[in-house]
Order: sequence, then structure tokens, then C-alpha cells
Amino acid sequence: MTDLLSNLGLGFAVALSLQNVALCFLGCLVGTLIGVLPGVGPIATIAMLLPITFGLDPVGALIMLAGIYYGAQYGGSTTAILVNIPGEATSVVTTLDGHQMARQGRGGIALGTAAIASFFAGTVATVLIAALGAPLTRLALIFGPAEYFALMVMGLAFAVVLAHGSVLKAVAMILVGILLSSVGTDLETGQERMTFGFAFLTDGVDFSVLAMGLFGIAEILRNLDQSETRDVVRAQIGRLLPGVAELKQATPATLRGTAIGAILGILPGNGAVLGPFASYTIEKKIARDPSRFGRGAIEGVAGPESANNAGAQTAFIPLLTLGIPPNAVMALMVGAMTIHGIVPGPGVMTKNPNLFWGMIASMWIGNLMLLVINLPLVGLWVRLLKVPYRLMFPAILMFCSVGIYSIGSQPTDVMLIGVFGLMGYLLIKFGFEPAPLLLGFVLGKLMEEYLRRSLTLSRGDLMIFLERPISAVLFVIAFAIIAAALLPSMRKSRDEVFTEA
Amino acid sequence: MRRAIAIGVLTALTSFGAAADTYPQRPITMIVPFAAGGPTDVVARIVAEPMSRSLGQQVVVENVTGAGGTTGITRGAQAAPDGYTIMVGHMGTHGAAPALFKGLKYDPATSFEPIGFLGGVPILIVAKKDFPAKDFKGFIEAVKAGGPKINQAHAGVGSVSHSTGVLFDAQVGIKPTLVTYRGTGPAMNDLMAGQVDFMADQIVNVGPQVAGGTVKAYAIATPERAPSLPDVPTTKEAGLPGYEVSAWNAVFAPKGLPADVKAKLVAAVEAALNDPTATKRLTELGSNIPKADERGPAALQKLVESEVARWTPVLRSAVESNQ
Amino acid sequence: MSEPVGGSGARGFVRGPQSFVAGLGLIALALFAIWAGDDLARGTLGAIGPGLMPFWLAIGVGLCGAALCVAGLLRAGAPLQGMPLRGPVVVLLAIVLFAVTIRPFAFGSVTTPGLGLAVAGPLAVLVAGYASPEARLSELLILGLLLTAGCMLLFGDLLNLPIPMLPTALIQALSGTIPSRTLLRIAAGILALFGLGLLLLNRRSAKREPIDVAQHSLTT
Repeated sequence: MTDLLSNLGLGFAVALSLQNVALCFLGCLVGTLIGVLPGVGPIATIAMLLPITFGLDPVGALIMLAGIYYGAQYGGSTTAILVNIPGEATSVVTTLDGHQMARQGRGGIALGTAAIASFFAGTVATVLIAALGAPLTRLALIFGPAEYFALMVMGLAFAVVLAHGSVLKAVAMILVGILLSSVGTDLETGQERMTFGFAFLTDGVDFSVLAMGLFGIAEILRNLDQSETRDVVRAQIGRLLPGVAELKQATPATLRGTAIGAILGILPGNGAVLGPFASYTIEKKIARDPSRFGRGAIEGVAGPESANNAGAQTAFIPLLTLGIPPNAVMALMVGAMTIHGIVPGPGVMTKNPNLFWGMIASMWIGNLMLLVINLPLVGLWVRLLKVPYRLMFPAILMFCSVGIYSIGSQPTDVMLIGVFGLMGYLLIKFGFEPAPLLLGFVLGKLMEEYLRRSLTLSRGDLMIFLERPISAVLFVIAFAIIAAALLPSMRKSRDEVFTEA
Repeated sequence: MRRAIAIGVLTALTSFGAAADTYPQRPITMIVPFAAGGPTDVVARIVAEPMSRSLGQQVVVENVTGAGGTTGITRGAQAAPDGYTIMVGHMGTHGAAPALFKGLKYDPATSFEPIGFLGGVPILIVAKKDFPAKDFKGFIEAVKAGGPKINQAHAGVGSVSHSTGVLFDAQVGIKPTLVTYRGTGPAMNDLMAGQVDFMADQIVNVGPQVAGGTVKAYAIATPERAPSLPDVPTTKEAGLPGYEVSAWNAVFAPKGLPADVKAKLVAAVEAALNDPTATKRLTELGSNIPKADERGPAALQKLVESEVARWTPVLRSAVESNQ
Repeated sequence: MSEPVGGSGARGFVRGPQSFVAGLGLIALALFAIWAGDDLARGTLGAIGPGLMPFWLAIGVGLCGAALCVAGLLRAGAPLQGMPLRGPVVVLLAIVLFAVTIRPFAFGSVTTPGLGLAVAGPLAVLVAGYASPEARLSELLILGLLLTAGCMLLFGDLLNLPIPMLPTALIQALSGTIPSRTLLRIAAGILALFGLGLLLLNRRSAKREPIDVAQHSLTT
């Protein structure tokens, strides 16, 4: 305990130097900005800012880059709520209820709740990293391929619950999502799968491209054909910030979301993407009236947002203690560290205590700054919703195009958002929901990899998934979730499975 | 069809009188065919900085990812040869790629003007920490005896760990079960957890783990030991002298570069390799600084030709047996 | 998955057309995926080939499709929704125009000139705007010019992202005379000035310019 305090003391001493506070603020500001802009992700931005940080000392540089990363998470929820475009896999869930709230004129409350829930989660995660970072890494090592496969299957079970319409259609969308994720070069053999010889498909479809198309462009198309009442939010814009009653309603969800997100974030196999989905599923399952979900339930924003932010921060644990980056942004942080001559790995904590504890302390300071930056901005964002839609949508379209182009400098990616936009529009027309498809896409790729890896290691023996206790437990949970989703409708009538959306 | 781009750009160039009396007059794009933050990207960014200084124009790194780096290199090969587009190729794009990608739209040996070698990152053979063998000889015996029971990790077909790993298998004469990962990170995680037995990878990825004792290094595939891991013997010392590989990086330009422009770029790379900050950063990364006889376009051309010849048979047979 | 659905012959019996057609769509997608992945080895459980997952996923999608078709036949459900063409066509056109003008793009033997964001941006905004029947030329021009100027400064100057900003030909013509950063700022300034000028003009003219939407519309 005294160790922890003295370590945190060292951390705050480092992080509170004038230069580092300024860098942290700059990072958070840039992060919020790029997070809000659809398409422009933290990856491209951090990559571009890397050379600028050459001149800085490593601690300051990393504090700034980390600020961009979690700043972008904050900003991303803003876009998800206001214009229904998830910038990253983790904000897909926020679109479900957040955007509904915005449509009902409760956009300010949604944004405020997201900011406060994120701040709370960030605070808890900071303490968690400081106190338990090192021992928690052991958790990462007991998760082998079989456990990850089971985890992904559980994630897909969540996706079934995510849908608020027909279960059958949700299952179909998940399968289509996984199918879509298998397009591209096969990892094991290097063979091209379903690319039809197109060079731009050899690496498969990028998540941002799919999300931008299915959500961003499809949403534009849908709004365009609701001929007269096409303005996104014409409803009276209510209070800007959540009141006591709303916060009270959101608190339990925030607590649960933080716990779930923090645990999943520690897993190096990008378990953090599951956090918001898991949180949403749990909130919906334990809610007294699950039908509110998907129609603007505040718990549907608070839970996933806190899970998202907690996961974003605990994702630093495998990076700082094991040297293993759990996702693309963290891989970039490895690059940033190596450029500055710090090789991430088990030695960072002892060899560079300034860096380790300074970064952890700066995360909390950064979260505080984000709250300070974002709460006043809520009013501005909400006012943005009053812009007539005929001007709003060309602007969204242009930002999406620029953002997508900035990811890989490929014009074909820009064209693909059009194709997926059309696809999303057709899906909406036929009563399908895009969220399960996107989740299937994100998890599908990982799931196939882990399945093949597990079976390679077990030499084709399927029992590997049941012999390993953690994997077996996860499978049981997944099965229970699916059964719980299917049974009520089964009981009512056998045809109920085919319920319309 | 791709040539059309080049011709189009060329005509545009000539019609607007690209009288490049004093190259360079605007920023230079350096295509890095891999994601930002990876080993090649880091090397490129370290070198781009002193190059910008000596050329007097900014060298902007552009990451064009895809298909094991060949997407970016293809774009670079087809760019106008005016010195405003250069690229960083590596062991994979200019050595292994012809064996791995059937429809490759460039030839590593003939589609480029070699500019300069940037050095190589040594490869280590690492195993899980409780692997029983005491030394490299014992390790080789163990993997031979284990046959397909041994699990070898690699970071995907076309990755450095895959190419160098199957070369190791071919030279030792073993056929372990290959376990594929997406990137080095997850592979290292499973190696630390003991899910897989061994892998070959770059010192920048495995060095800290070896130093931290979470994995075990049996040998380093360079002529000399690495300063950061002085206890790890070279393959030559440990009894497998033929296995010397490194993940090298080098600067290339599209074919047809004017001689004066090429000379300026060669000089800029040379200056970068003599820059104390850059060399310090490269060394910290584990990358070797090229020796005098490895520098310059002629040495690079020779390296590319020998690498293509070396990788093609090994990788062809590895990929075919896998399919 | 081979439910013998009677196609057009069964139309009269279809009680939930939306489900029925959606199911047919899924079956078609499944067949397409099976065909597309036909050349891939499926392998064994111990060494799963690249074709195994896509094949079984396609079967799954097809089964879902068949179930939806059956549901559409048995249960009364939502009717098919109308599909206006203007929105999708114009929006897609705007996206494609942006994609082919931002940097040189080759269609067979024809290559588009790389015009950069300075041209691609306003073009995309302008064209996209006409997806809505309420489009007004002057408004869209102002929006396009100002947004593009902002983006050029934000992405090019501030964030330093490697997005082509200006036409390649212009950069080459002016190469050596003006530093590229300055050129970018000047160009953004010019765009912004034009935008603001138009905005002022628009404000000045008391009555709104009577723009006939149909004349400018890029669709029918």
C-alpha cells in the first residue's frame, strides 16, 4: 500500500510538471478533435504525430500520444451519439441507444452521461492499473487460443441479444458479418479468399470502411428518403446535462460497465472490443423492462461507455508489463516507445519507473481534462444538430471520405464506403440491423484465427474446448445466453422465432 | 493499365516543365509498406529525419499497407521516377515476395533504382522458457526428435518470423507443426505462456523478453553477438553456420531516376547513416549499422539479387506443402 | 437449405413479403459465397483449410434465408418498402467522384488527373447535396468551399496527414517558387475567401436566388 502511494506520488510528480500537463492537454484536445471527425482515427493521427515527438523527452511524448488515444475514444462517442457513426468497434454499441436519445432531443444528456461515465471508469481503471497491473498480467498468460475462441463465441452470443428485432435476422446478420470478415488473404496459407482478383480486397475489408458505410452512409440514405421529416433531430432539445435522477439511473450500469471493461481490457488478444457489448447485454438482461433498450435507455449509454473507457486504459497493462500490444493503437505506442529508445517489455516498470508511473498518473489527469474539455462542448455539439440536414449530410459525407482516405491512402476504400452504404440501406429496408453484422465482422476474424490455432495445437481434437476449464465455462455462459434469448420466444409459440423486426 | 498512370504522370511532368535544376524543390514522399509503429516504419522514420535535413526538404513517411508490403512497393514502383517518391523495402518485399505472391507486379531486382541499405535487425531463435534443451545443439536435437509434435509459432505467411523460421526448418531438416498468429505480439504471448515451443524473430521484438527471462534465446543468426544480449551465442559458434539471416531494410526509388537526383538521394541516405542521433536510435532498436562495403546502390543491388535467389526455393516448398 | 420455394409462382401465398424477399436475398448471398469460395481447400479439423469457415458460414446464411422465406410464407408480415432512386444514386456518385479526383486513378487506359482535396472536397459536397430535393447551389458552394478550406488546414497543415491537397499539375508548375506549406495555406485562404464572398453576396441579395432544383439536379 505504501509502495502504491509512493509510486503514484512519483507518477504525479512526473505527470504534473508544466510541460507534461501541457502535452497531456494537447494530446487530449487533438484526440477529441480527431475522435469527433468520422473516419479519422487515432492510428493515422498518432502515426503522423510520431516524428513531431522526436524532440520531446520520451515521457512527455508518450503522455501526449496516450492522450490522443483516449481522447479519441471520448470524441468517438460524440460522433456515435450525434450522427450514428461508430468510429471504432467499441463505439458501435453507443450508437444503439445514444443516437436514439439524440433523436428524442436528449442528445445533451447522452453526451453528458457518456463523459461522466467515461471519467468514472477512467479513474477506477487508473487505480486498478497502479495497484494490480503487475499481478493481473498473469491473467493474460492463462488465456490460450482455446480460451480466446470461447471468449469470441461468447461475444457472438452477446450479439444475438444486442438486436432488438427478430432473433433469426440477427443470427443471419452475424453470420454475414463473419463471412465478410473472411474475405482477404488467408493468414495461414497466404491464399486469397473471395477477392475475385481485386487488389484492394487482398487485405480484406477495413473495419472503419465497413462501419462508415453501414452506419454513416446508410444513415444518410435512410434519412434522405424519409421525405419531409428528414431532420435528424427536430425534437425539442432538452437539458444539456444529465440531472440527478438520470445519474442515479446510470450509476449501477456505470459500475458494472467499468468492472467488465477493465477485466476484458487486460486480455492481450484485443478482449477490450468485447467490453461494451458485454456490458450492454448485461444491462439489457437485468433491466426490469428490456424493451426500453434500443429506444434511448440511458443505461445503454452509461454501461458500454464506461466499459469502453475502462478497457481502453487497462489495455495499457499488457503493453507496459508484458510488452505485448493488444491492438493496433497499442502497437503504435510500441513504435513510439522504441523510437524513443524504450523497449516495452517486462523491464519497463523497474528500468523506467518515471515513464511507467508518469504515464499512469497522466491517464487520470487526462481523463479529468477530457471531462473539462467535453462538458462545455456538449452545448456546442447539440447546437450542431440544429444545422439543416440538407447541409449536414454533404458535410458528413465529405468528412467520411477524407477520413477513410487518410487511413490507407486508397481511393478504392472511399468507393467501398459507398458500396457498404448501399448494402446497409438495403438491409434497413428489409428489416435487418447492421450492429450484429459489424460485431460478427469484428469477432469473426479473431474467432476463425483462434479456432484454427486451437485445433492446430490439439491436432484436430475438439475436446480441447471442454477440457480447459476457462474455455468450458465460457462456452456454458455463451450457451446460456443464447438459450435465454431463444427460450421466451420459443415458449410463446414455435413460430415466434421468426418474429418480424 | 498501371503503366498508364506512370505515363500520365510523366506527360504531366514534362508538360509543366519539371526543370529540376535544383532537386528537391518540394517534400519527398517515402512510402513505408507497413503499418506505422512496426520495425520497418520506425527505421524509416529515424532515417527520414536526417535525410530531410541534408536534402533541405521534408521527407514525409506515408504508410501504404497491404499484402505483405507489396501494395505499397507496387505503388512506389509505378510512381514517377522524379525523386519525389521513394520507398523503404525490406527482406520480405524485395526478397521473399516473388516466391509468395503469384501476381507480383514488380521485380525486386529490375523495377527499382537501389539507393541505400539501412542495415538489418538480427534474428533470434527463441523457445518457451521451460524448453528442456540446455544449448543450441541440444535444442536442434530436441526439435529433430520431436518431429511434428513440436509447435513452431510465426506471425503469418510472408512475415519475417515465417520466412526466417521456415529457412531454419529447411536447414535443420525438420517439419514441426506451424502455428500461425496475426503479428508477433500474440505469438510472443503464447510463447511466454508455453502454448507453443519456439519461433524465430527479430531482436527488437524478442530482446526485452529474453532479457526479462520470460523466454529463452538459443542463438542469434548474425556473424557477431548482439551488444544487448551478450550471452546469446551466434549460430556459427553454436553449430549452424549456414543460418545467418537478418530482417534488413533499404531505400529504393522507381526505375529511371535521373542520375543527379539519384546521387543526391544516395548521399542523403549516407549522411543519415553517419548521423550520430540516428545511428544511436538504430542501434538501440537492435538494428546493425551497415558497414562500408554494404553501403551504396551497387551493394544493395547485389543483396536484393542474392536474397531473391535464397528465399525463392525455401518459401515455394514451404507454401506448397501448406496448401 | 434447399427449401423448394416456389419463386414467382408462390407470390400470391406470400404473407410477409419483406421476410420472403430478405430470405431469398440471403439464399442468393449464400450461393454466391459458396461459388466464390469454391476454389479453396477445406482441409481437416487438425489442419483447417481456408475454405472451411466460408463454406459453413454460407450454409448457415442460406439456412437462415430459407427459414425467413418459410416465415414469409406462413406469417403475415411487413410489406416491401418503396425505394427512391435519387438519394442512393447521387450519394454514390458523389463518393465515386471524390475517390477518383483525390489522386490519379486508372480505369483501364484512362487515368484521372490527381486534383487533390481542394477540388475533390467541394465537388463531393456539391454533388452530394443534390441527393436532397431541397438542394441550393449557392448554399452548397459556400459549404463546400469553407469545409474544404478548413479540412486543408486541419489535415494538411495541422495534422500533417499525407492527403493530396492540391492538383498535382499545380504543385509541379509552382514547384520551387513557393514552399509547399505556404502554397497550401494560400490555397486554403483563397477557397475560404471565395466561400465567405459568396456567403456575403448571398446575405446581401435580399430575396433568395430562385434556383430551380430540377435544372441543376444531376438525376432525372
